[in-house]
Amino acid sequence: MAAPLLEAVHVTRVFSGNIRALDDVSVAVADGETLVLIGESGSGKTTLLRLFNRLEEPTAGEVRIRGRSAREEDPIGLRRRTGYVPQEGGLLPHWTVARNVGLVPRLLGWDEPRQRARTDELLDLVGLKPETYRDRHPLELSGGQRQRVAFARALAAHPDVVLLDEPFGALDAITRLELQEEFLRLKGRLGTTMVLVTHDLVEAFRVGDRIAVLKDGRLHQDGTPEAIRGAPATDYVRALLATAGAAR
Amino acid sequence: MIRLTGALLAGALLLPPQDETLRIGHKNFAENELLAEMFARVIADRTGLRVKRLPLADTLPCLQALKAGEIAAYPEYTGTGLVAILGEAPLRSRREALYRVRTEFQARWDLLWLAPLGFNNAYELAVPRQIAERHGLKTLSDLAKAAPQLRAAFGFDFTSRDDGLPGLRRVYGMEFKEVRSMQQNLKYQAAGERAVDCIDVYTTDGLLLVHDLVVLEDDRKFFPPYEAAPLVRGDVLRRRPEVGAALGLLAGALDEARMRRLNRRVQEDREPVERVAQEALEELGIIGTRAGSGPSGRSASFVSYLVDHRGKLAAQTVEHLALSGAGLLLGVLVAMPLAFLLERRRALAEPVIRAVSLTQTIPSLALLAFMIPLFGIGPAPAILALWIYSIFPVLRNAYTGIRDADPRAVEAATALGMTGPQVLRSVRLPLAAPVIMAGVRTAAVLTVGTATLAAFVGAGGLGEPIVSGLQKADPHVILSGALPAAALALVVDAVLAGAERLVRPRGLERRR
Repeated sequence: MAAPLLEAVHVTRVFSGNIRALDDVSVAVADGETLVLIGESGSGKTTLLRLFNRLEEPTAGEVRIRGRSAREEDPIGLRRRTGYVPQEGGLLPHWTVARNVGLVPRLLGWDEPRQRARTDELLDLVGLKPETYRDRHPLELSGGQRQRVAFARALAAHPDVVLLDEPFGALDAITRLELQEEFLRLKGRLGTTMVLVTHDLVEAFRVGDRIAVLKDGRLHQDGTPEAIRGAPATDYVRALLATAGAAR
Repeated sequence: MIRLTGALLAGALLLPPQDETLRIGHKNFAENELLAEMFARVIADRTGLRVKRLPLADTLPCLQALKAGEIAAYPEYTGTGLVAILGEAPLRSRREALYRVRTEFQARWDLLWLAPLGFNNAYELAVPRQIAERHGLKTLSDLAKAAPQLRAAFGFDFTSRDDGLPGLRRVYGMEFKEVRSMQQNLKYQAAGERAVDCIDVYTTDGLLLVHDLVVLEDDRKFFPPYEAAPLVRGDVLRRRPEVGAALGLLAGALDEARMRRLNRRVQEDREPVERVAQEALEELGIIGTRAGSGPSGRSASFVSYLVDHRGKLAAQTVEHLALSGAGLLLGVLVAMPLAFLLERRRALAEPVIRAVSLTQTIPSLALLAFMIPLFGIGPAPAILALWIYSIFPVLRNAYTGIRDADPRAVEAATALGMTGPQVLRSVRLPLAAPVIMAGVRTAAVLTVGTATLAAFVGAGGLGEPIVSGLQKADPHVILSGALPAAALALVVDAVLAGAERLVRPRGLERRR
């Protein structure tokens, strides 16, 4: 069997003050799959996400990328091959939309015309007219538009995998639905591997191919939405399903 | 940009060109300034050398500057040399005093006392005429008897030096009802208005001719002699014997009465020192008559004063800007790298910034005084002091600006593969630019304000008219420095506010 694209193997992360953010967690992400990490704040889901592009390092255990230890990767190169969408976009406010989208291609040294073509292509892809939005600054956009630009930026250099940290968290309900639809459309079209963090079970069921439930740094269950709905592994997962009753 | 700032910096540091210009220092009071001007004119007239006058604060800066070779000569008094500089007990005889300072100064520092100029400017005590008549005062012995009913105002050093009040107590048993310390000009005014009953004066004070004061006779010959003479560097006299010859023309040429009249013209009538010196030298036949020596009469209004002195004020404004600019530039050059460093070593940031903030609490005059023995006089100590003051505002703003730059943008830039230096250059720095510029503005206004004190160490600038105006108690002169300095601070602030808008990256404000 080929090694999974991303893999966390018995990872533990202890922060100063002896806080165990992650405690012996193992998950794997297959090529083209979307894994959703769900949990409350303090569950360790964001820490786990940040291990995959080496924004954090495990205290014990190992992160593997295509079977190779992440430690052997140059973190800068790894990050340039990994898309990233933070909550509220994290766009550079002093740069235009085009410059934000072209961030990684420029770091990789693409020539100007290629950067420009790719930027316009991506703006089209996320539903923003290039000629209208290219030269705007992030503060001139709505929250939903900013998040679309952040998606475009994450996808710009054809990354192997895109990490998303509560990408819809700061949006109003209607915009959130709209962007979730958009996300599903893009996922279907591009087939990019995604790891997405959320605290919203409805969202997890909607966008995830597989769901990993975390609480207090421990992995409670890891499976398809159907498997989790059909056979909750722990009381916590059962309670979570009950509170999100509408998760059909 | 870098080349330009480098050139500016070099220009500022090299303000006094190191060619064969002879500099004559002087202390900050009318007579000393006048004598220095006369020295300068005689030397220039007889030797053809370029001679510049350099105002300095007091005895110590003058001596330091002379020892360091920053100036070639300055007018000094034998009594000051003996008591204040050598720290010895005063001598009663003029000849002994001169002999003592001559041998000691030459042996210790190769500094030569040339022949005295002919007048003794000793301490004396004076009382308003009415007081003298009411108490029947003629001598200091008379005064000692009446002293317990009298209020005295003395210069700051007079109350502490051995040839001042402490000696008077010992020799005459003089105890006043009240003793206050007061500045020279205010003392006369206070005595004139009968707010005090007794003041210390100098023999040649022009103000003695103005206020109705009686100088009391020193019947026990207590006050030591203060004969004025040129104090000159030995190497200057050996290299340029003609300088000694020129100054020799002034030996014995000035008696007390003449000096009092000349001082009055400068102190009271506010005639320019240059004209008074020129006319005195012509009168004495030491230099030839010069046709049309400038406008006559005291300036009628402040505006006409400004117009008369516009050339000099413009030069002083340029000096002022050069001093402030050099200090500020050096401050920025230190503060910015330090801010970058602290941003990477945050544990150090608070202690370091707090330590640097202490520089703001040093009184500027004290800092300047401290610089003199280390760096001599002139622009160097002034720029160093301004540099020290400008670091903190820039450092604090740069550090907090860089540290607090939009954390989501910084995190995203890192997560997408920017290296640390790239994040600093492309994200943190542009986002912090407005905050950093605000710090530079604060430092600039502070520097332009503080640079007025540079005059105390002979660095020139707009402080020069302020210092000499305080000296002469002439509000026109004070304002001619103070107003341009204040205006300059406002202009600099406005210019930097414009620069702040320029460096503010587009997109940081919502535009609709």
